[in-house]
Amino acid sequence: MKSVPPIDYYTSGRRTCAGCGPAIGYRLLSKAAGPNTIFLGPTSCMYVANGHQFLTSPYAVPWYHTQLGGGGAAGTGTAAGLRALMSKGKRKAEEVNVVVYGGDGGFADIGYAGLSMALGQDYKRLLFVLNDNESYANTGIQASSTTPWGATTTFTPSGKKNGIGNLRLKKNVALTVAAHPGVRYVATSSLYPPLDFMNKVRKALDSGGPSFIELLTPCPKGWFFDPKETVTLAELALDTHAWVSWEYREGVFGLTYRPRAVAPIADYLRYQGRFSHLTESEIIEIQRMTDEEWEYWELMDKQKRVVLPWSSAPQTLR
Amino acid sequence: MATRRSASSQAPAGAAATIQSKHVWTGTRSVAEAVKIADVDVIAAYPIRPYTGIMNDLAKMIADGEFKAEIIIADSEHSQFEIVKHASAVGARTFAGSSGVGLAYAAEAIAVTALGQLPVVAVAGCRALDDPGNFGMEWNDVFLFRDVGWLVSWAKDPQEALDMTLVAYRVAEDRRVMLPHFVAMDGAALTHISAPVDSPAQGSVTEFLPPYDPPYPLDPASGPITKGQHIAPSLIGPEQRKLIDVSMKNSGEVIQNAWYEYGRLVGREYLPFIDSTLMDDADIALVCMGTYAKDAIYAAKKSREAGLRVGVIRLRYWRPFPSEELREALSGMRGVGVLDFSYSMGSPDFAGAFFNDIRSALYGGRTRPPLLDFILAGGREPTVRSFEKAIEIVHEAAKAEASHKIVHWLTLRGEDV
Repeated sequence: MKSVPPIDYYTSGRRTCAGCGPAIGYRLLSKAAGPNTIFLGPTSCMYVANGHQFLTSPYAVPWYHTQLGGGGAAGTGTAAGLRALMSKGKRKAEEVNVVVYGGDGGFADIGYAGLSMALGQDYKRLLFVLNDNESYANTGIQASSTTPWGATTTFTPSGKKNGIGNLRLKKNVALTVAAHPGVRYVATSSLYPPLDFMNKVRKALDSGGPSFIELLTPCPKGWFFDPKETVTLAELALDTHAWVSWEYREGVFGLTYRPRAVAPIADYLRYQGRFSHLTESEIIEIQRMTDEEWEYWELMDKQKRVVLPWSSAPQTLR
Repeated sequence: MATRRSASSQAPAGAAATIQSKHVWTGTRSVAEAVKIADVDVIAAYPIRPYTGIMNDLAKMIADGEFKAEIIIADSEHSQFEIVKHASAVGARTFAGSSGVGLAYAAEAIAVTALGQLPVVAVAGCRALDDPGNFGMEWNDVFLFRDVGWLVSWAKDPQEALDMTLVAYRVAEDRRVMLPHFVAMDGAALTHISAPVDSPAQGSVTEFLPPYDPPYPLDPASGPITKGQHIAPSLIGPEQRKLIDVSMKNSGEVIQNAWYEYGRLVGREYLPFIDSTLMDDADIALVCMGTYAKDAIYAAKKSREAGLRVGVIRLRYWRPFPSEELREALSGMRGVGVLDFSYSMGSPDFAGAFFNDIRSALYGGRTRPPLLDFILAGGREPTVRSFEKAIEIVHEAAKAEASHKIVHWLTLRGEDV
């Protein structure tokens, strides 16, 4: 795709926050997938904020809820139902996209096994998009396994004894997805530049098998930043190497975004209240980990294959 | 397996309208055959004894090209039931099943399937809720779903397991019902036991069970349907619960009609809700469900030789609960014993869940016979002697016209405190 089409299949009739990153992602996703699509929504912000008060629906294509841990199974069941009906002549044979838009809680934690099961199936046009806002946002910002080190959440507050907040390292879900031999397309993306994500959606749907994209979706409520900065943060995440945009298909790895000039990680962190408690030495520690990890991404890009990234464990500084 | 093909030899409701073949099948094999006959589209499998044999058989049938269906090997029971829920939502006919703690693991997905009004059919191969790895027969796994809007029927033998599975699709998919349906099978005692079965030929039940026609399929070809949207409870919460309630109430008539039609088709006569044996002159009765009814009948016949006028009532449906039919069947009894493979720790009188349902139904009746609970929990197999003992206790209670002890753990070793 060379431009963002004006038509929307994810429209008004919702109550998402101002500057909601996952909602921007949904909109881009729906534009790229087009009208012959079924959306499935595991419980998340993108369930609760897209409905609730007014008996309205923002979806101009079929949409069905699935349980928080049900994303993988819901996609599989929907694709299986369509294929069975088509192959048995009970429904006209045509290409229908099945897209599951789940959060990091739904795909990285409680529904991780179900996602893995789904990636082992051979359904075409079955895409799982993880909108990664790095927390359980609709329940009040609790840490998930993709919350970055040093972020405060309501489950990982910065306190008198532990000043750092979250001490777990962010899980790299997309790389674990790439370890599934049946998966046809794996990518990460950011809300910036928008065409990057949309084209990855197209490639994923056309890949001939199950596919997965992890989209970083800044969350003003959970990350504590000014709602007008959502896309700025999406860009800064890439420019500081806090988030890496890549794709992996047919065994070939490649970076898909390289900043013109790499910015210090502090530029990304200082926009966000969830990191405001960090000391200078802790920010230096994050910079060190980011740099160390980046060397692996460079290596992967050079060798065009997956190498597991690694950085030495963060020191608990206090 | 016998392969001799002939028309059904016994046709009490007149000649069968469909050609059938004779076989000797286990309970699990019978259900697999029913799934094939029903031309199910999507099957989700995950192993746990004792229901697993159904999936083994279906996998082989599909591998052999006997029929066409998507069979998905799930990563868990939770995924299994989510898969069939969503396949059903797009308009596929679906099948799943599980046992014991597998059903507990799937509980969330099972509950919302009813709220989605999706006519999934699943088998529950009854099994104890585990630790210490108990694989004995108990009903508490199915009873977890007593309240959530699934229809539940209880099969007696492989023939009835096949018949009930076919009828389950017909009832579940009826527009007046649109609810998921469990066919419960007593673990081992039915799942693994072989018996003669008359099976309708594949393709011979299409008129009785036409392809599933979903009212609102989740399919772009049917427009932008939003299903299960998050709502504030105050908006439609009670009304949505009421829809399930009304569907459950509607199901009684649908079930009755379905068994009548099915009986005409296969030449086997079934009373839909209650199976009464030796009840014509009985003054005491045993009430049960499932395959142990046969043992109860055997014990009743033996007790009759000793002069006790005992009959046996078997419930074929647990949801909807046949309250009226049960009251009628038990009216005039001087004593009733409930054969109860469930427990309900801390419940009224510390009785079983099955017993308390029956007692609750009889409370609204004109007569309330003395009612005793015979708990067979824990998976230790009862013997004919267990049932004879139950009959003796009911007989004594009826004579005394009062009983101090309501609950008796029949298979317990040691003192029943």
